[in-house]
Amino acid sequence: MDFVLDYISVNTFWTILSTTHALLAVALLGALTHQAAAVLAPPRAGATGGFVTHFRSVSGPRYAAAVCVLWVLVFIFGAWIYTRYRFHVRVLIEQEALFKTLGAFEVKEHIATIGLGLLPVYWHFWKNARNAAYDSARKWLTVVLAAICWYAFLAGHIVNNVRGFGL
Amino acid sequence: MSADTGTAKATSSRFGTFALVFGICFGILYVISDMASLPMFTYHPGPDRIDPGFAPPRRDEGPAMYWYGWIATSALGASMLGLLAAALPEKIRGKIPLALAWITPVALLPVLIYSLKFYWRWE
Repeated sequence: MDFVLDYISVNTFWTILSTTHALLAVALLGALTHQAAAVLAPPRAGATGGFVTHFRSVSGPRYAAAVCVLWVLVFIFGAWIYTRYRFHVRVLIEQEALFKTLGAFEVKEHIATIGLGLLPVYWHFWKNARNAAYDSARKWLTVVLAAICWYAFLAGHIVNNVRGFGL
Repeated sequence: MSADTGTAKATSSRFGTFALVFGICFGILYVISDMASLPMFTYHPGPDRIDPGFAPPRRDEGPAMYWYGWIATSALGASMLGLLAAALPEKIRGKIPLALAWITPVALLPVLIYSLKFYWRWE
């Protein structure tokens, strides 16, 4: 990737990666939130409600593959910029003694990784969406993944606010 | 036709068992790898070097990163256990509770938070 640095600065390069990571995370967050709403509070048959009814009326199985792909992509970008974070961001946050911020980010790193390992079974549950035996596990696994995604998004946002762009 | 359907069903079931056991074991092994310092390798971002297993940071080389190594350790272990589980007879495979897929990460969360107590004590 060094040839890219002939055209843009190092800071611009890492900022592009960080922004891409954030934008993909927004897409993942939206998909998982819709899906979790659909399994937690499915609309009644024939309901013609407003925004909330439409928000939870998505077809869960249609989101499953996109969620898996987005989670992997967000993870890859996160793992890529993590080296930069470890070397250039975390040290500065340590020097400022913002240990709870660091701890919150460590939790994000751990639960996002555990979520990655759950993607195969999540995909399997949704691929067999008509199998009633999977209903409960599929519902709660989707909710857990949505909660992980929300936490990871907010923790990442906080760290970004502490250190900001131009890593 | 029926034989094809049966094979597809069996494959799906074996994959389902693999995926379930992989998901459960991946999280557990990840937490163990973290708490017991068992990364498959250590990455040193300063000199861009990889050492096998756990390697402490060296003077003037910056921090050492174990996260990638923890993922590798847990992925390898969970894959092996998932494959073993998938090879079990259907009678046994069918007894693995599906709910463990979401209960395991919820149960691991307090353990993870405790493992990071260093960050909660200092200010």
